[in-house]
Amino acid sequence: MIYVVDALNAAEYPELLEDMYRLRARVFHERLGWEVVVKDGMERDCFDDLDPAHVISTDAAGRVVGCMRLLQTTGPHMLADIFAPLLDGEPPLRASTIWEATRFCVDTNVLDRGRARNSISYVTSEVMIGAFEYGMSAGVTDAVAVIDPIMDRVMKRSGNGPYGYLGSPKQMGKVQALAALMDCSPERIARIREFAGIEHDVFSPLPEDVVPAPFAA
Amino acid sequence: MDIIDLSAVPASPNNLESFLDQLCDRLALDYASYAVIAPFSDAVRGYANYPAAWKSHYMQRQLQNVDPILQKAALSIAPVDWSRFERDRSFKTVFYEATDFGISPQGLTVPIRGRFGDRGLLSVSRAGPQREWERLKRNIMPELQMAAVHLHDSVMRMSAPLSSNQQAKLSQREVEVLQWVAAGKQQQDIGDILSISPRTVEVHLRSAREKLGALTTFQAIGRAIALGVIFPV
Repeated sequence: MIYVVDALNAAEYPELLEDMYRLRARVFHERLGWEVVVKDGMERDCFDDLDPAHVISTDAAGRVVGCMRLLQTTGPHMLADIFAPLLDGEPPLRASTIWEATRFCVDTNVLDRGRARNSISYVTSEVMIGAFEYGMSAGVTDAVAVIDPIMDRVMKRSGNGPYGYLGSPKQMGKVQALAALMDCSPERIARIREFAGIEHDVFSPLPEDVVPAPFAA
Repeated sequence: MDIIDLSAVPASPNNLESFLDQLCDRLALDYASYAVIAPFSDAVRGYANYPAAWKSHYMQRQLQNVDPILQKAALSIAPVDWSRFERDRSFKTVFYEATDFGISPQGLTVPIRGRFGDRGLLSVSRAGPQREWERLKRNIMPELQMAAVHLHDSVMRMSAPLSSNQQAKLSQREVEVLQWVAAGKQQQDIGDILSISPRTVEVHLRSAREKLGALTTFQAIGRAIALGVIFPV
C-alpha cells in the first residue's frame, strides 16, 4: 500500500517516516556505500527539511519496504546541488511540470525475486505507480530520477525503462548513479500495472480528518 | 497561451491582475489570486481579482495570519485542493467569511518553489457541482502549473536585489535544442541529430522556456537570440 507523506500530513505518520529513514540507511549507507549521514540508524539529509513528498510502500504487515522522495525542480533539489556531478557540470532542468525523484529504493532484505506481492519488482512497480499517479494529479508530466544501474535494469525489465538520461553515470560508493527521465503518463502507468499485475488503487485511504467531500457541512 | 505575457511587460499590480482575469476567462474559473512568501522574512505580497469588498475585508481583518492557503499550501509540492484543509477555526474564519462575499470555497492552490527559498501560491476557485470541479481540475492542472511559475518568476523579477542572477542558466543541451528549433527542425529530427529521444528534446525545450520566462517556444527563441545564447538562422 502506498502512502504519500508530506509536510501537511507528516504529524500523522511519525513511525512510517522513521521506518522509511531506517530503510534508506540500510540501502544507501550499508548496501550502496554512499556518503550519507546516518544517525540513530536513520538516513536523513537537508532535503528532507525542505518539505518534500515521500512516496512510501508498506507490505501486508505494515513494514516499510520501498520509498521515493519527490521535490519540485523549480526550487532547491539534489541535482542542482549534491548530485550536480551527474550532470557533468551542466545546470539542471527547471520546470513546474518536472519533478525530481531521489532516494528511490526497495528493501532487498525482505523482498523476494519473481513478481509476487512480496517481490522486488512488485514493490518497485507499486512505488512508481504511486509516484506517477500523484504526479499526474498535480499536473506533472515528467520526472528526473536519480537511480542506480540495478534499479535501471529492474525498470527496463518491467516495461518501464527511462526514455532518456541526463549527463553521464558517475561512481557513487559501491555503485554508479544516473539521472534518468521518465514520463508521468497514463501509458507508462498502464505498462507498469500490466507488468506487475496491479489493478487496484495503490493508495491508502485518506486519514479521517481529511474531508474529500465538497465543502458543505 | 494567448494570455498576457508578464515577462514582456512591467510586472505591475495592474498587469498581474489582468493576467489573473485572463486566466479565469480561459480556464473557466471564478477567481484567481497569487501570493508570494519572501524567503527569511515571511512577508506576504498578494494580487487577486476578488471583489474589492472581500479584499478590503481580508486586509482589515488581517486574515493572512490565519489563512490556511498561506499557512499550509506552501508546505506541499503538489497543488492542494482546499477540501484537504482541516475544518478548524482558521479555515472557518477565512472560508466561511469568503462565502459571504460570494467566493466559492471550492478551489485549489498551486505552490511554486523558487531557487532562493521563495514560495509562490496561485489559487483558483470555481463554484458548482463537485464532479464538474474534479473534471475541470484534471484538464487544467498542467496549464495552472505553467501559469503559476510564470507569475512567480514575474513577481520575483520585480524585486531588484535578486534580478541580476535571478534567471536560471541554460544547459548546453537546452541551447542546442533551441538552436535547432530556431533552424526550423522538428522535435523528431532534433532527437535524431542529437541521438536523444523526442521526449527528451521536448523536456529540454520546456525547461528552456521556463528558464527564459517565455510562454511559447517562439518567444523563447526570440529571447535566446536577444541574449546572444543562440544565433538567428
